[in-house]
Formats: sequence, structure tokens, C-alpha cells
Amino acid sequence: MMSYRTIRIPFGPQHPFHIEPECFMFEVDGERVVGVKPRIGYVHRGIEKAIEDRTFIQNLYLIERICGICSHAHTTCYTQAIEEILGAEIPPRARFIRTIIAELERIHNHYLWLGLAAHEIGFETFFMYSWRDREIVMDLLELVSGNRVHYAMNTIGGVRRDIIPEMVKKIRKGLDALEERMKYYKKIAMTEPTISKRMTGIGILKPKDALALCAVGPTLRASGIKRDVRADDPYIAYDEIPFNVITYDGCDVMSRLFVRCDETLESVNIIRYAINHLPTGMIRVRVPRRVPEGETVSRVEAPRGELIHYVKTNGTTKPERYKVRSPTLGNIPSLCKMLVGGYIADIPIVVAGIDPCFSCTDRQAFVNVSNGKKWIWSGEELRRYAVKWYPKE
Amino acid sequence: MTEETTEENEIVRKMKHLIGKNVLESEVPRPRRIFILVNEKVFGKTIRYLTKKMGFTHVSTITGVDVGKEIEVIYHLNRGGKIELSLKVRVAKDKPVLPTITDLIPGATLYEREVHDLLGVSFEGHRDLSPIILPEGWPPDVYPLRKEWTIEKVQKRIIKGGKQ
Repeated sequence: MMSYRTIRIPFGPQHPFHIEPECFMFEVDGERVVGVKPRIGYVHRGIEKAIEDRTFIQNLYLIERICGICSHAHTTCYTQAIEEILGAEIPPRARFIRTIIAELERIHNHYLWLGLAAHEIGFETFFMYSWRDREIVMDLLELVSGNRVHYAMNTIGGVRRDIIPEMVKKIRKGLDALEERMKYYKKIAMTEPTISKRMTGIGILKPKDALALCAVGPTLRASGIKRDVRADDPYIAYDEIPFNVITYDGCDVMSRLFVRCDETLESVNIIRYAINHLPTGMIRVRVPRRVPEGETVSRVEAPRGELIHYVKTNGTTKPERYKVRSPTLGNIPSLCKMLVGGYIADIPIVVAGIDPCFSCTDRQAFVNVSNGKKWIWSGEELRRYAVKWYPKE
Repeated sequence: MTEETTEENEIVRKMKHLIGKNVLESEVPRPRRIFILVNEKVFGKTIRYLTKKMGFTHVSTITGVDVGKEIEVIYHLNRGGKIELSLKVRVAKDKPVLPTITDLIPGATLYEREVHDLLGVSFEGHRDLSPIILPEGWPPDVYPLRKEWTIEKVQKRIIKGGKQ
């Protein structure tokens, strides 16, 4: 029996590499992870309850702030749900502008992830370069929306700002640079042995498990399952824009990286197409403040995967019930599956592999259950440990 | 919204064939969306049929809604990424118990725990219903998403309980 040798390691709630809290209780046998128990809720802010207490317009601002990176995905999901209940058709130009922002957001998210993933494996140069280039897309978002993070582009009935011809030129230039850089990063990832050694065959999620555990987004697509809300359940302008759903069948962190690289290139093409075919006309319609009784389920492919909102209205100016399920929650059961059987040193890159969105500070405690000895490692120390440990293998 | 809803209507028809009058309400508001309210008695049979025979193997999430004397639990099931079927079932508020679906769809484990935390619905057969969202030491009878627990009432209770 190995039970007398296993040690429990709480990983979090203060997390070594993300700025959001979340706890994984690891059961380890030597260097091997034999069990994981997740615990979330450290940043549960009661937003669903708060939404019930605010008007539909106020909620727009609250929902924008559910997530810093996927803010546009959340408001798109919210506005299209309310518009569906209202029976309001938004102008074609607004649908295209929403799509452009959504794809810029995806590019931003994937560049950000690439840097974080590189940081987890100790490849700091890669991290610095990809975050430098992330500035290009942040500048584009600022150019269009006026904001770098919470774009505040969506409103019920359309969008709040228009894309004018002077912007288009700058967007095209930015897209060229982003495309070229992403192609270069993909080449590096394919040829650089340090990346391959840390990512190939790590964090395996078989297609069968991915489906059973209801994985979503790039995590699912890296296990060879072709599923994308944009293609399967088209919303805003995705039914009018041709694009490919990227899949890889390596089922490991490496495949998750390639999926995101290729998706970024695909997003560049989507934006180019949308700009070339941008319809003319209004960007918003006026809608009543009172929403009739009804309910709907709204789905969006956020950068991290399927995002689903359920809304029930009661004929007043406030919703009766609002439910949000973000992609990370959908991927936690799969993440636990990936971690079991792996090494402690692989925990950071496997957790980062699903692109989690919970907050964390730089600290982690190790407890030796047999003698009760405790010690604390910072995330930096764990990362260094991982980088040092690897050459031994 | 001129797209066809033949496939969706066919699913509703099959469901009605299977459980007859136990389909209390059904609606296909637009392509790829189905809402069905079923009787609590046939819930187990229905969910087994949907997952095993109809291919609804992905659960997007589980929502709990307080509808007065009952709690409505909505299972947002998905087939092939396309059709989103919201299967609703109502349970009495004073004793809300439902069978777990984690044996059919393992990915539902966190969603059931979430509904258990926030609305107090118990899922029979779930291996671990410990808190996933609410903090340790949260009063066991306070379910924040039930309508009787207003924000002020929850705050009053938590501070009164000496936790702060």
C-alpha cells in the first residue's frame, strides 16, 4: 500500500502563478500526483444575486466586470440574451463590430496565455516578447473602444462606438504585425526543444475523458474534438464569416498551445474579412427599459471556451434570475484528470494549460503529513524548483 | 429567425412519446433551443433517455431558480455542441432532493455542488457535496440564491453569527 507515503499539498488558495485564488489539494506519492481535490469560491462575489437587484442597464456594467480578459464575451452573451427576449434585431453593422472586438479580445487572450505558458516553463525571453507584442492588440482595442481592458463596447441594442475609416488602416497594420509575430512564435514552439520537452505528452486528456468531463474551448479542441460555439451555434456575425475550427489531436499541453496559435491566425482572418465586408448603417437601435416576461439561454465562444448565460425575466426593469457559467468552471474536472499521474514539477504548466481564470497571490504551503513539518514556497520558488528538477530526468 | 426547427420539434415529440403527460411544458423558442419542464417523478428516466439514447452527453451547466414554494432545477444539456436542451424539474422547497446525474455525466459534479451550495438542493448519490463556493463555516440554513434571503438579510445573519 502506498497510502502511508502519500503527502497532501495544498496548492493555493494563494496561487503561485495567477493573480487569483483557488485551491487544489494534491495527494502526492514522491514526485507523482495521485489525487486532486479542487476548491473554488475564494473570489465569489455574489454577482448573480447582485444582478437580480439592478436594472438591465446597470447590469451591463456589472457583467462587464465578471472577467477582465473576457469582458466583451460576457457582455455579448448578456446583450444578445436580453435582445432575444425583447425581440430586438440589432443592426448588421453592430453585429460586425461586436465580432471584430470579440476576435481582437481572443487574440489578446491568446497572446497573454502564450506569455504565461512560457513563463511557467521558465522561458522568460518568449514571455517578454509575446507580452511586448500583446501591446499591439491592446493598442488596437484602445483605438476602437477607448479602453485597454473593459472595452464597454456593447449595449443593449447594439454597440456604443463606431469603427471609422481612419481606424481601419491602423487595424490592418496591427493585424499584419500580429499575424507575422504569431507565425514566428508557432515556428519557435515547433522547433525549440525546451518547449517541446516541457509540453509534449504532459497533461494528457483523452478525447473520451474530455467529452465525459464536459471540457470546453481550446482544451477540448486540443483533444481532437471539433466543437466551437461560433460554428455550431452561430451568434452575432459568425454565420456570415467563413473560418476554420482548429483542432489538434495530441491531447497534451503542446496541442493546447498549437490550437491557440492557429486560432489567433484564424481570428486575424476573421477580422480582416469583417472589416472588408463591414455593412453600412446604424450601430444601435433604441430598446425599451422594461423587458417582458421570458427566459433564454445564451451561448458565446469566449477565448477560453463555451460561455453560457441563462436569464429569466419577469416583466420589470430587473431580471428575476441570472446565471453565469464561465469556461474555467467547465474545465476544472478535466484539469483534475490531467494532473493525476503527472509530476509536481508539471503542475504549473498543466494548470496554466487550460488558461484558468481565477485569481492568486505568490505563495504555497507544503505539509509533510507524517511529521507535520510545514514550509512555504513562493510561486517563484516552485517555478525554479520545476526548472531545476527537469534536467535530472 | 427563419431557420428550421424540425429537429428540435422531433426531440420534443419523442419526449412526449416517452413520458406522455409528464411533459408539463415544452417550448422551442428558436433554432437550437429547447425548454422542457417534466414531472419530478419521471426525472431519472428522462435524463437517462436523453443521455443514453438521444446523445445529450454534454452538460453546459445546472441552474437553480427559486419559483416560490418550489425550486426549479434546470439542466442545460447539449448535443454535439449545437442543440441546447434545458430540462427543467421542480422540487419542493422544504425537502429538495434529486438523484445525481454524475453517474451519467461525470462533468456535472461541480455544477451539482454549486446548486447545492446556493439553493440547498441535495443530490442523492453524489460522492461529495462539500462546499465549493461558499466559505467554511457558512450557516447551513442560509441559501443565498433563494428569494427569501435578501442581500440585507444575509448580511445581518452573517454579522450576527459572530463570524466577522
